[in-house]
Amino acid sequence: MKKLELVYVTYIRTTPKKLWAAITEPKFASQYWAGRGNISDWKKGSPWYHSEEGKLDEACVVGEVLESKPPKRLVLSWADPDSPKEISRVTFELEPHDDMVNLRVTHNQIKAGSETAKNVSRGWPLVLSSLKSFLETGKGLMVSCGHD
Amino acid sequence: MQKSTFMYVTYIRTTPEKLWAALTKPEFTRQYFFNTTQESDWKPGASWKMKAPDGSTTDGGEVLEIDPPRRLVLKWRHELKPELTAEGYSRMTYSLEQAGASVKLTVMHEMDKAGSKLIEGVSGGWPPILASLKSLLETGQPLEETRHWKGGCKGE
Repeated sequence: MKKLELVYVTYIRTTPKKLWAAITEPKFASQYWAGRGNISDWKKGSPWYHSEEGKLDEACVVGEVLESKPPKRLVLSWADPDSPKEISRVTFELEPHDDMVNLRVTHNQIKAGSETAKNVSRGWPLVLSSLKSFLETGKGLMVSCGHD
Repeated sequence: MQKSTFMYVTYIRTTPEKLWAALTKPEFTRQYFFNTTQESDWKPGASWKMKAPDGSTTDGGEVLEIDPPRRLVLKWRHELKPELTAEGYSRMTYSLEQAGASVKLTVMHEMDKAGSKLIEGVSGGWPPILASLKSLLETGQPLEETRHWKGGCKGE
């Protein structure tokens, strides 16, 4: 079965701590990620949900925290709850440079031709552009779900 | 045919006209594209050059297609390092599409051979340049990292 890997690199004028918070705290993530946040206690082995707060049963992505080393590295498994056996993997790597952070997002083990493949190849550039705008201007780009 | 391709998509809160100006006009490129400028009449078939602050040509080629503010396609050859110049002409496309209150910018940089060192080099260079362009248009300030000419810029 063919697997895909996507890598997206961007540079954001912020600190690793603020960027980590923007990814892991729903009060921030919901402002740039189509109203949904990333919900977890962020301990290794804990579940993780991408959903509106209080609506975990309607999560559009679920998974597990595989590694968590704030504020440098976060690795999550990623699955559509409707296809729970198709598990891919997302790695966030945050590296400071001067007044900015190099953010590298690697999404791999994606099944070629799947709904996930289609959604994330369109979604990551949009979400990460929105995240950069949120941290640099106070306002994200997305008001509705990028999957639509 | 074997190809080497770099593709990058970013969304910028601006208008297609402002983004087009930032991609082509020297008062903008100096701020986020390592203090370089471009010399061209911006018509199909016109020559195109990217110039370093000292006036030397870093990259050169031709305008293949131009449809402001939607699409620009350049024939692009690196002119500083002989081993990269020897690879010949690549093709670089800027595509701009309105996406709600933002503009979706797609950069495609391609060479008709596998394992192109030029494409490998620009794959490292484009992300910080495009991040700096986005910061410039959204906040008025580019990223410090890409303000100044560094000699071997764009990772080439």
